[in-house]
Amino acid sequence: MLKKRLIFTLLYSSGLFMLSRNFRLQAVGNLDWLQRNYDFSRISNYIDELVVLDVTREKRNLDEFCEVLKSITLDNFVPITAGGGVKDVDSARKLLRSGADKIMINSAIFNNSNLAKVLSEEFGQQCVVGSIDLKRSRSGEFQVWSEDGGKLNDVPARELLKRVLKESVGEIYLNSMDRDGTGQGLDLEILELLPERVSKPIILAGGAGNSSHLMVGLEDSRVDAVATANLFNFIGEGLKEARQELVSGGIVLPMWDLEFRTMHEKSRPHSLGSHE
Amino acid sequence: MKKIKATVIDYGMGNIWSVTSALKYLGCEVDVSSDALMIEKAQILILPGVGSFRKAMNALISMNLEAPILNAVQNRKAKFLGICLGMQLMGTKSTEDGETKGLGLIPSSVEKFSSAEVADRKVPHIGYNQVHFDSDENLFKGISGNQDFYFVHSYRMLPPDWKAGVSTCNYGVEFLAAYENENIFATQFHPEKSQTNGLKLLDNFLKA
Repeated sequence: MLKKRLIFTLLYSSGLFMLSRNFRLQAVGNLDWLQRNYDFSRISNYIDELVVLDVTREKRNLDEFCEVLKSITLDNFVPITAGGGVKDVDSARKLLRSGADKIMINSAIFNNSNLAKVLSEEFGQQCVVGSIDLKRSRSGEFQVWSEDGGKLNDVPARELLKRVLKESVGEIYLNSMDRDGTGQGLDLEILELLPERVSKPIILAGGAGNSSHLMVGLEDSRVDAVATANLFNFIGEGLKEARQELVSGGIVLPMWDLEFRTMHEKSRPHSLGSHE
Repeated sequence: MKKIKATVIDYGMGNIWSVTSALKYLGCEVDVSSDALMIEKAQILILPGVGSFRKAMNALISMNLEAPILNAVQNRKAKFLGICLGMQLMGTKSTEDGETKGLGLIPSSVEKFSSAEVADRKVPHIGYNQVHFDSDENLFKGISGNQDFYFVHSYRMLPPDWKAGVSTCNYGVEFLAAYENENIFATQFHPEKSQTNGLKLLDNFLKA
């Protein structure tokens, strides 16, 4: 049976990791901070996938981001999705050579509608994740935003989702801008925008602040994976505890035997995090 | 103890970093190479791969790597592991982007999951799924039967009609999840992305 997935999303901007609240960014710490508080070679034992996004609003530095990606993914043996400003095959390839397995695209869905097709022709459709940011209007209707939440697109959300589901993307990442970083829980009403039969995996993000929020998302049959980007709520042992609560709450998550790793690291002559 | 040395074939289509990172973690010395001579001489070869079959096969051919790979595997009996698209390339042919011939190391062709096979399941098949294996001697040594491995693919190979060395996964249809035959090994899933289960499997491959 195919298992549901728990995804952790990291937001990176010009050397720093960010907490986002309704898409307003607040710097939390640099790579050292991240590794002190989120030792990914350990935490990756408790998540099923990692998403790392370069959310730099000014000029992004792809080479620098690739180096950061390499550090984070060292000794981290889960799938990695990277994104943020991917415009062509070359930048996608660079990310794929720096630890990424999949590429997330967002604004390109609107301003470079050929990108998904080009990337999937090169790397396969399963390599492309389409991310869609949704925000409610005053009247409560979901609207679609792009450019890091800076640009409102006039295409109705329902129509856009229908279109993107037909495009060359392997998965769809639906993010609630209203709930983003609030810890108020995922917005399941977003799922109402989907057509009745959805042929691609759906990842729901935005608002999960604790394990019961994640649980509600994972229990929904329309959801294949849930993601949280809340750096404060899952600090330290947070992800480990959340996973344990999900499993004891009856969510069927992937299983692996952690003993091999513990044994291997004990017997390894060199120190952790270094392959030299 | 002498370090085991593996050569990862770089033909521009792989998640090279992830594969080498896992091998190094296991204490293996890794060469990443697109050099035909090095591949010709290697003892352990790994063919990773993310992308479309036709592009990947064309890349192998245009880089003059097909013959050195086949020579190493078939004549010199170098140990060989194909991962994901790397496994599919070992098949006889694929229908992805028009029919393309494969390396022919596994007697099975590569086709897209049909809607009849998967019924109401989503394609691509993305996520962790259970692998059913008969033998726990080589690749699956020390791995218990209910463990999960990470898959991400829209095309699949069907298992050949014998059991030895054939492992399957069910996604509406029983498809080929892993294959072993003498010095030839392959996994449709990504061991380098399958946590400790995958590390253990890679370790088994290196020591097989």
